[in-house]
Amino acid sequence: MTTVATEVPGFLDLAIQFGLIVASGVTLLVGYRVIQGPTTPDRVVALDTIGTNVVAIAVLFALATGRGLFVTVSLVLAIIGFISTIAVARYVTEGDIIE
Amino acid sequence: MSDGIQRETTVVAKTVTRIVVPLILVTAIALLLQGHNLPGGGFIAGVLTATAFALTYIIYGLDYIQTELLDRGVDVPDGVPTALARESGTVFGIGLAIAAGGGIAAMVLGYPFLTQAVAFLEHLPVYHELEVASAFVFDLGVYFVVVGGLLTILSVVGAE
Repeated sequence: MTTVATEVPGFLDLAIQFGLIVASGVTLLVGYRVIQGPTTPDRVVALDTIGTNVVAIAVLFALATGRGLFVTVSLVLAIIGFISTIAVARYVTEGDIIE
Repeated sequence: MSDGIQRETTVVAKTVTRIVVPLILVTAIALLLQGHNLPGGGFIAGVLTATAFALTYIIYGLDYIQTELLDRGVDVPDGVPTALARESGTVFGIGLAIAAGGGIAAMVLGYPFLTQAVAFLEHLPVYHELEVASAFVFDLGVYFVVVGGLLTILSVVGAE
């Protein structure tokens, strides 16, 4: 399967740590919009953002630990997030997902 | 596209679906094939295949799939399952038969139920060494069970 380089240079390690912190912080901030969001589309967009952030966190974690299995995790999460976005968009615009 | 009265699917969505569905299917098959010794396996491959079909159901609609791709009639009376639902149920049964048959084959050879084995084929032209695991048969059964079950739910619930 995927082999990721096990020895990362120092600046890349720092960048990965910074990216993990930023992505996690943004995910927490978006959680406020999920709970508080006045309308349903607000919550939908916020949940979609959380999904994208979890994909980013999985890729960064794969880079940091050198374990390729998290790349597979992020790939599957990205596919399912894409399809759920389309399904919710159809539900919001037409009120019916499958005709 | 077939009736065009109430459906308003954009060209962008249709084109993206045509590109993305083969990619999802390739990912699913890769996860199925590596499932016996790496992350993956029959269940997640089946779920991904079902999402690929769900995407075509969402974008193109059940009627379009049945009339244009499967060449079946749309008009079925209420309470009768559509052709899609019935054939998905058949896939479910085939998967259950494969999974159970893989277990019973071990009993025929004199081992306990669902005993697995592995063989290494060497000196092959391209792969050099290929690992053939009997767990793949059970994975294949799980794959068809998950695909059949999820597609039955999608076509029955989507038709209501």
